Amino acid sequence: MSFGFIDILQSLIDGILFGSIYALIGLGFTLIFGAMEKLNMAYAASSIGGAYVGLGLATLFSLPLFLVFLIGPIAAGLISILVYLVSFRLIPSTNHLGSLMASIGALFFIDEVIIHETQGSPLTFPELGIFAEAYFMLGDLGFRGDLIFIMIFGLISMGVIIYLLYYTRLGLATRAVSQQNVAARLCGIPIHTINISTFVLAGILGGFAGCMAAASVGVISPLLTIPITIKGLIAAVIGGLGSIRGAIIAGLMIGGVENFFLLVRGVNERDIYVFLLLFVFLVLRPNGLFGNEINRD
Amino acid sequence: MFSKFKKLKLATLAFATVIAGGAVADTIKIAGWGAKSGPLRSFGVNSEAIIKAAIDRVNENGGVKLADGSMAKMSYDYYDSACNAEQGIAIARKVASETNALIGIGPTCSGVAAASFGVFQKKVGDSSDTGLQMPLLTDTAVRNGLAKISQWTFRNTPNEPDMYDKLFAWIAKTNPDIKTIYGGTETNQGHSAGTYSKVIVQAAIRHGFEWVNGPIDEVSDKIGSGFKNVLSSSSNWLMEDTNFSVQARAFKKSGADLFIVSSHPFTTCGFLKELSRMKGMPKMMVGLTSSSSAEVMKGCPKQAEGMIIPTSFAPITAAAKEVAALAAANGGSADLHSAASWENVMIIKDVIEAVGITGDPSKVKEERAKIRDGLEALETTEGLIGTVTRVQDEGEALKPFVFVHAKNGNWEVLHDPRK
Repeated sequence: MSFGFIDILQSLIDGILFGSIYALIGLGFTLIFGAMEKLNMAYAASSIGGAYVGLGLATLFSLPLFLVFLIGPIAAGLISILVYLVSFRLIPSTNHLGSLMASIGALFFIDEVIIHETQGSPLTFPELGIFAEAYFMLGDLGFRGDLIFIMIFGLISMGVIIYLLYYTRLGLATRAVSQQNVAARLCGIPIHTINISTFVLAGILGGFAGCMAAASVGVISPLLTIPITIKGLIAAVIGGLGSIRGAIIAGLMIGGVENFFLLVRGVNERDIYVFLLLFVFLVLRPNGLFGNEINRD
Repeated sequence: MFSKFKKLKLATLAFATVIAGGAVADTIKIAGWGAKSGPLRSFGVNSEAIIKAAIDRVNENGGVKLADGSMAKMSYDYYDSACNAEQGIAIARKVASETNALIGIGPTCSGVAAASFGVFQKKVGDSSDTGLQMPLLTDTAVRNGLAKISQWTFRNTPNEPDMYDKLFAWIAKTNPDIKTIYGGTETNQGHSAGTYSKVIVQAAIRHGFEWVNGPIDEVSDKIGSGFKNVLSSSSNWLMEDTNFSVQARAFKKSGADLFIVSSHPFTTCGFLKELSRMKGMPKMMVGLTSSSSAEVMKGCPKQAEGMIIPTSFAPITAAAKEVAALAAANGGSADLHSAASWENVMIIKDVIEAVGITGDPSKVKEERAKIRDGLEALETTEGLIGTVTRVQDEGEALKPFVFVHAKNGNWEVLHDPRK
């Protein structure tokens, strides 16, 4: 199939819009890394898990389906607490590899629980109401209403998180723990409470992202977990681990790059270029786009 | 269950067994394996539910008749091969070497079947080949031509080349306004991609449909011709994809009369929703056999409306309706893959009774060989929606099928080629 300039532009627009989901997941990775200097590999699994719990409870109790988007993030926040306890709290803080491996274990554990509870079958997920069918045309270019909604939501989330981190006592404490763990403890900051708060915040955000990802397809499946984990992690790394705006920008960029190469090189080569982008950043700009924001001792 | 048989051969086998004497068992064991974990878990769950229902039915009716005339119950163990080739091979080896199961049913995935059939002895009686010597009657793995990998492997799966050939012949006859085709598939799923690129497109071309952008190099009406070029000329996705904007736009832009969507339910729904959102629906859509399932009707009934799929199972006979109900009662659902499990259990029962099995654990190897011979001798079997013809030299089946289409949230029979 041949393609022209409009096709390329359209694929970039679609990709950037869809990249909002990667951005939200990347934001969660970066939040946790910023607070603990550790990667929580189970983050996207918790997010999808939350979406499943929301859907399950809404179905079980015949609740209005819009409540899935409320219950899902709360459930993801609770799952994140569990992940924190088993993968981080109970493992010595100096054992970074132990926490990393434990969170990978938690990822697969959550994934397998979902698969066993749902028999692996994709489940219908409520769509984003009027946004789901909305499709705006601007000349020859089309814009999906639900993805615009998700993108706006991502930008608002970024604003809320920046506000929480820089203009609240919780944010001050989080930054203190992040920058000098021991000093923060000596100042009486309860670091585990702060870490749990960060996990809950990131979990709620991820729960929204999980619900949005499922709503954008109208179906939820355990198959979503691994690709979203990988792309979200790449977004966090390219954006600069610990950088909030970096995660957002990199997430959108990855969506655009992914869709562009899908158009020009096909589905089998698409991800090669995304990983290539990661390697380029790791070699040429290892701290990512905004890595200098990480001010650790 | 089967009507024609190589009677003399089987009678001789049975007679020889009785003459030889020996202990008889009170239970005949069979084994099943399929995906019971991972994203395709529902396939294994459905197959096991129906195997259980079928074995319960056999046992309710007294069991299976052994060589000495006594009756034995049937029992089964079901293993999880998880759509993983290594796991499938390990299970095949374990069942063949560590259990007294006389025959296996499975696996789910064509990739597992292609890999694990290779560890069975290729030619019966070849002393230089130490491969597994246990018969296997596949219910689900449907990729074309797998059973001939070994003379111990048999399949009771739909013959997709035949089904799509008849489907496109029917479409060409009844819809003369449909002339051009375009399509896409999940490239990382063996069945979807293989059937699309080697069977479906070629079947369409065979019946006069034209690829929308002109002929694809090396692609003719022959199965498998130019399959790599089919894939590179199509707009494809992966099984775990969630964003289909580029593909749906390519489909819409093609302007073809008929779209071929060869994927499993998860991505079929995601893709169709994107296509619908772009208002890119064609005059007609043809789907993959595996998509004629409840999942698509749950996930995207509106968008799938009108999609046509050939399938070897639909609840159109009393027997098929009963199996569908039993599957539901056992926590599964009957579809073209899982329903074959019922037929397989009944075939196994009939073969055991025909060849004369004692169930004596000390004779497992010998009796497995007898059952294999019995399976190979079958010319026809009675399926849930009609008579199944065995392709004896290949170990394959030619199953009756119907064309269903998505209508008002259900798969309804659109055309019945059996009539």
